[in-house]
Amino acid sequence: MKSKRYVKDKLTQLLISLVSLVGLIILVAVFFYVFSNGSSLLSWNLITGDYNSNVFNGYYSTEITTNDFAAPSSLSDEEYFSTRWGISFMDDEDTEGHHIIMITYVDIDSPLANIPDKNDETATISISSGQKLMTVRFSDNTMLLPSNGAEKANQLFDTKTSIADIMVSTSGKGIRGSLITTLYLVIMTLVIALPIGVFTAIYLHEFAPKKNKFVNVLRRLIEMLTGVPSIIFGLLGAAVFIPIVSSLTGADTGNLISGSLTLAVIILPVIISSTEETLKTIPDEYRQASLALGANRNQTTFKIILKSAIPGILSAVLLSVGRIIGESAALIYAIGTSIKDEIIITERSTSLAVHIWSVMSGEVPNFELACAISIIILIVVLVLNLSVKFIVRKIAY
Amino acid sequence: MEKVFTIKKLNLKYGEKTALLDINMDIPKNEITALIGPSGCGKSTLLRTLNRMNDLIENCHVKGDIKYEGNDIFSKDFDVIDLRTNVGMVFQKPNPFPMSIFDNVAYGPRCQGVKDKKILQETVIQALKNAALYDEVRDRLKESAKELSGGQQQRLCIARAIAMRPDVILMDEPTSALDPIATAKIEDLILELKQKYTIVIVTHNMQQAARISDNTAFLLMGELIEYDKTDKIFSNPAKAKTEEYITGRFG
Ligand SMILES: Nc1ncnc2c1ncn2[C@@H]1O[C@H](COP(=O)(O)OP(=O)(O)O)[C@@H](O)[C@H]1O
Ligand SMILES: [Mg+2]
Repeated sequence: MKSKRYVKDKLTQLLISLVSLVGLIILVAVFFYVFSNGSSLLSWNLITGDYNSNVFNGYYSTEITTNDFAAPSSLSDEEYFSTRWGISFMDDEDTEGHHIIMITYVDIDSPLANIPDKNDETATISISSGQKLMTVRFSDNTMLLPSNGAEKANQLFDTKTSIADIMVSTSGKGIRGSLITTLYLVIMTLVIALPIGVFTAIYLHEFAPKKNKFVNVLRRLIEMLTGVPSIIFGLLGAAVFIPIVSSLTGADTGNLISGSLTLAVIILPVIISSTEETLKTIPDEYRQASLALGANRNQTTFKIILKSAIPGILSAVLLSVGRIIGESAALIYAIGTSIKDEIIITERSTSLAVHIWSVMSGEVPNFELACAISIIILIVVLVLNLSVKFIVRKIAY
Repeated sequence: MEKVFTIKKLNLKYGEKTALLDINMDIPKNEITALIGPSGCGKSTLLRTLNRMNDLIENCHVKGDIKYEGNDIFSKDFDVIDLRTNVGMVFQKPNPFPMSIFDNVAYGPRCQGVKDKKILQETVIQALKNAALYDEVRDRLKESAKELSGGQQQRLCIARAIAMRPDVILMDEPTSALDPIATAKIEDLILELKQKYTIVIVTHNMQQAARISDNTAFLLMGELIEYDKTDKIFSNPAKAKTEEYITGRFG
């Protein structure tokens, strides 16, 4: 008998280990996929760069025949330096995998640092490092295209004497705007939802009469809201919050405020229920001891209850932040999908999650870029996680 | 003899259930009064009425009359916060707040609006000294109170009550969760505190009542059966029920 039970016990244990192993493998595989696909695109330029690229179009008609510029000492093996124009090139790929020629250095005395604008007689443009070379037509009508590569570009620049037409663009496709939007959303949403959620929970648990029908209905309703798909809240945002925000601020489309309000409604039930769960775990002895010491109810609530609840509230915040960062469906309605570089809270912009969605919903889904953005999201979540853990450790006794 | 509390015709019900029935008793100043009786007889309930902690229980109804220093504690213009600052309470289970030792003791004064760091510092140290805890914790006032042993935690709770400079300290089985050594320390402390404070202590431990109290009240099913000098109760009780209880024949 005993051995049969033993075998059964071991089998159950084995089964549980296998199941958790499968879970672990899936998780690791997802991370591995994301990292292996996205890490090649991950760069400081991607994170801090503009999404929209600006194209500059200029010319330089004065003839140059000397090769006087000295290569900078920092020049790497992959860069090609034109001693005639004082400019260096490098082969690269953009976030969509197309071959490009990057400008990696422009001498301050280079003629290209300040050339006339082709589209505006009175203006000048400046060619600088970080831009990419699009097309060049030299005075003898020789054409240079990105597909020619950096070495060929250098060769042409070193031999040609003047430029009839040069087109460069800032690199673009960066995600800075979406990253900032995401951080704005996190902060604004929490600023709206956290006080409301925490105080609602405190009211429900500490002040509301215990066996009140209305309170119970309210609590049931809040629990129900946790399960509502977020796209429905997105409709609410579009139908209610956008008009309200518009009439108050003059915004005429979806905007960051309406987005934050929508997200606040989404995370409110989460914050209320998990704060209330935390309040339930705070021993009644604390309340009694506080009141017996002549503290009034508000003092008891704020100095003892709220303080003891902070770790629980912070983990609710973490859950919510995860939800805010990951939310895309609701935001498509509530703030729109246009990717922006200048973030204004009464205008449209896009969070990282929606950015991924738009990258993936183009004609050619860009897996690499989606993965690179995912890595950034993972890093943001990780950093937030660790800092909350750190705060909890600092304040909790 | 001066009386701190005068209790007249006190009746208390939890919903329909009677927990205290026609209690009449006086609690003399600067003495230790013990409440004894089998569990469920209403000792804690009686104790909690003295600082009106029963107010927190939703279906608790009190009738009758309690005077604290001559003032009716149930009257409309009586300040319950005032009562609780004068009548401190120590609970059965040590219940320090999840904060530092210092903040625990400073909590009461701070709630009364004391902000001056120096005054707080002095109050806390004096209270810890009076609770015979200072020497053990002087180097770690900033550490969590939860790190203390059970006995130390209970003495911290006493210090926390003392910091309010109360006149009365109510104690509800303060040693029942402690080991014998910690219990002995608390008993010594209670005897020490008698100099300055009136103490009402609930205990189910009859030796404890005999050792430390001046007066003993014996309750049974919500009724006050006998209330007298402790010596008298334990050597020559007037009622048969009391004798049966203290000789251990029931309870
Ligand atoms: N909050 C409460 N609600 C309802 N009944 C209670 C409550 N507290 C105590 N009682 C009842 O009142 C009676 C006296 O309880 P208590 O004063 O705690 O007794 P003791 O401290 O002597 O053990 C018991 O029968 C108990 O069940
Ligand atoms: Mg009791």
